[in-house]
Amino acid sequence: MSNEVVDMITVVIDGFEVSVPKGTLVIRAAEKLGIQIPRFCDHPLLDPVGACRQCLVDIEINGRAFPKPQASCTIPVEPGMIVKTQLTSAVAKKAQEGVMEMLLINHPLDCPVCDKGGECPLQNQAMSNGQSDSRFEGTKRTFEKPIHISSQVLLDRERCVLCARCTRFSEQIASDPFITLNERGALQQVGIYEKQPFESYFSGNTVQICPVGALTGASYRFRARPFDLVSTPSACEHCASGCSLRTDVRRGKTLRRLAGDDAEVNEEWNCDKGRWAFKYVTAADRLTHPMVRNASGELQEASWPEAIAAAAAGLQKTSAAVLVGGRASVEDAYGYSKFARVTLGTNNIDFRSRISTAEERDFIASTVVRAKTTYRDIDRADSVLLVGFEPEEESPIVFLRIHKQVRKRALKVTAIASKLSIGNEKLSANFVCVAPGSEATALPSVALTAQSVILVGERACESAGLLSAIAALAEKTGAKLAWIPRRAGERGAIAAGAIGNLLPGGRPVADASARVDVAAAWGVTSIPSSLGLSSDEIIAAVNKGTIGALVVGGVDPLDGENHHEMLEALQKAFVVSLEIRPSAVTTLADVVLPVAAVTEKSGSFLDWEGRSRNFEAAVVDSLQRSDVRLLSMIADEMSKPISLSTVKAASKEFASLGNWDGAPSALSLTSVQTVSALQANEALLTSWRRLLDEGSLQQGEENLAGTARKPVVVISPKRAASIGVTDGEAVRVSNSHGAIVLPVLVEAIHDDAVWLPRNSRGSHLLATFGVASGAVVTVVKD
Amino acid sequence: MAFTDKDLQVMDSIINRYPRKRSAIMPLLHYAQSRDGFITSDGIETIAKKLDLETAEVSAVATFYTQYKRKPVGEYHVGVCTNTLCAVMGGDEIFAGLKDHLGIENDGVTADGKVSLEHIECNAACDFAPVVMANWEFYDNQTVQSAKDLVDSMRAGKPKAPTRGPDVLQNWKETSAVLAGINDGHANEGVQAGAPTLLGLNISKKGARG
Repeated sequence: MSNEVVDMITVVIDGFEVSVPKGTLVIRAAEKLGIQIPRFCDHPLLDPVGACRQCLVDIEINGRAFPKPQASCTIPVEPGMIVKTQLTSAVAKKAQEGVMEMLLINHPLDCPVCDKGGECPLQNQAMSNGQSDSRFEGTKRTFEKPIHISSQVLLDRERCVLCARCTRFSEQIASDPFITLNERGALQQVGIYEKQPFESYFSGNTVQICPVGALTGASYRFRARPFDLVSTPSACEHCASGCSLRTDVRRGKTLRRLAGDDAEVNEEWNCDKGRWAFKYVTAADRLTHPMVRNASGELQEASWPEAIAAAAAGLQKTSAAVLVGGRASVEDAYGYSKFARVTLGTNNIDFRSRISTAEERDFIASTVVRAKTTYRDIDRADSVLLVGFEPEEESPIVFLRIHKQVRKRALKVTAIASKLSIGNEKLSANFVCVAPGSEATALPSVALTAQSVILVGERACESAGLLSAIAALAEKTGAKLAWIPRRAGERGAIAAGAIGNLLPGGRPVADASARVDVAAAWGVTSIPSSLGLSSDEIIAAVNKGTIGALVVGGVDPLDGENHHEMLEALQKAFVVSLEIRPSAVTTLADVVLPVAAVTEKSGSFLDWEGRSRNFEAAVVDSLQRSDVRLLSMIADEMSKPISLSTVKAASKEFASLGNWDGAPSALSLTSVQTVSALQANEALLTSWRRLLDEGSLQQGEENLAGTARKPVVVISPKRAASIGVTDGEAVRVSNSHGAIVLPVLVEAIHDDAVWLPRNSRGSHLLATFGVASGAVVTVVKD
Repeated sequence: MAFTDKDLQVMDSIINRYPRKRSAIMPLLHYAQSRDGFITSDGIETIAKKLDLETAEVSAVATFYTQYKRKPVGEYHVGVCTNTLCAVMGGDEIFAGLKDHLGIENDGVTADGKVSLEHIECNAACDFAPVVMANWEFYDNQTVQSAKDLVDSMRAGKPKAPTRGPDVLQNWKETSAVLAGINDGHANEGVQAGAPTLLGLNISKKGARG
């Protein structure tokens, strides 16, 4: 960036000279001098609008003065410009005071009960730039209050100063213009269309940027005063976008989370899941005490020493493997990784608690560990290719970043998928429609350069041969490649070596010098040399009797295609479960150890870029412990210590290991499978998880759940005609395991495909069908 | 009332007049009004779908402009200018007289559905003050009596012709269709700029000649 030539313009503001890049707004240039001009509508990430008129200043250019004060948020600097703000111009000061008096005419004096009170730009600037008295003696305009513009966002119209930040955000940033300025004159107001609530995945940002208390979140309303909250910078635990957040806690309880400010990653935004899905932490069924299965087969509360001893004893007796899940912090994943190698003496560890393949494991070791693609690369890309990846649903900040460039410079986006998604429509993507499983066949038709970016999602592994074809395509074209998993912990788990073919730092298990490297660092004589089993293989091995114990952390058996086998394995094996809430795993476990949620511990995630996202414990007095501390205790008990008694120790040791600088493992090409011919009424299943769905970390927040997209079955017009249904009619999708009945939506989708949400209300594909993509299902009118 | 296939075709022909679809929003709202008499939910949803807009965006435009009505109006919608000049020239009396005569308030509709009443902002016809409009056609230099006669003629089904503009007064729906850009053949009828409008211009022209 530094070698770009920027024209600088020098202007004088309140007698001080300042040089700023051409195009800078007067209000920003003043900020550079530390001069704060009051404002409401101005937001650095939204287009200038000049709606509130609060930022009026006196301006002259080369001796010619504007006849009236001008809005400094809409005027770019020019050579020879002299600006006088409220600090040096009586005219500007009076103009600002006048505007403030006008804005306050209809504004209620309800600051003591308003959620914004104490952190309100209107309240603050009325104090700093307003007058103590108003000349208004009439009756204030009132509205019915509040109105629900979605189940999560409430609107108190009489507080609104019509700055249009929310409506501009919805249109310009989220591309969800479900709220608009309605009516005119004194009745002008923000509103929705009566039948279309403000159900945007990004609606919470409007609550955050509202400069008054007009927009509030239902879950925080009347819960706290800002000055009673203790704020801690945190990272989001939901997806791999890597949002920086702020967690606000009052008396040991998280009351809200806000988007943090990080220009490189989430800018100033986040998604509604990251903002509002935190109630799982305070769920009534949180595990608080260790439990051990007693002689009569019941789980019974136990003391920590008892539970640790029971876990150690069970793991010592037999060969054990580790299923860590994709939600662990880097430090915890590193703990599991070291625990498997040092304490259990095995490479049988896999973080992929979802549909996964051997091809994907090779792709991770050969390609993902080397990927250095970043958000900046999206900013500079000449085109973006999306494969097996729906950014709006699966990594929403990646979606916002792509959308920003689409809006700014018409960035070309190509999506290879079976169904055109709402998100890809908003990106004006070139939709390359393929049958599920045939994605790889469309790759050769996409023109890519070394300036292009390929974003591939975790679902790509569900299409055999796709990942290796993508790696080959990136190699051939020089395009930048990024693999974007859905869960926050997956990229970190790879770096920590929580997978059977990699040791920490991307070191291949198969490489003897890599093993020696790690063995030396860990002070052990050797690291097991045989390639570890995958999740599915571990489960199969348990059921075959070759593995007798499992350490399971943060895994939902229903996230995989073989949940029957997994439940059977959990029943068979000696299971140590590290969990925050009861689950199918804890129910079957022999030892249950409660662990801390993200807000209760420190640690870090690696986002999809591989960028470290640190977080501190927001709830400082939590008694819950991070997984790594418990693993360290078990390891001590087993006399094969991993010596990671604190998160800090894990973090330090992991950092000191560094990254592998030897050759990465090679990727062998997996052949593309041919799709079998379909009978009439048969279709190939395709699906993805919606951002807001029945995910376990979203439980307990009904207001948020109310804004989720409604579950539907999507089929093509051709199929709709052949089975005789129209929009809204019930359709039955089934296979030999089960059936799902949902209203149909006829849309742009491959004629051979049928789409359902993977894990939404009434549509749990893995639980019902045992499959989620590529498989043949029957689609009929219900 | 649901839109017929023919209605949807007309909408398409209106959209095709513009390089970008969304530019057709205002004529389409007039057209929807010409079919339903006012802007219905069906109208907003149909237009949003046709223009690839969100319903909120269409609703924002429909609620901003007072020419779009969100509830039924009369067959003849009468507007009395009550801005400063018309008001002092008799507009206030005319408005009060019509309310009394029709037995309705501002924004009201007579029980027979024939006439609705609204006080309106300046129509740029101050030189003909006080001005009354019916379905957006001009009735210049009105009195309380002439306005009452006008609404009586509407209720009798034989509305008087406008004093400027077309030779006949179309009903509300027909006028909405004209505003949607559908030619009713009356476009070139009537006086465009009357004598009072040109008075100043003529004086200045004379003066310039000396």
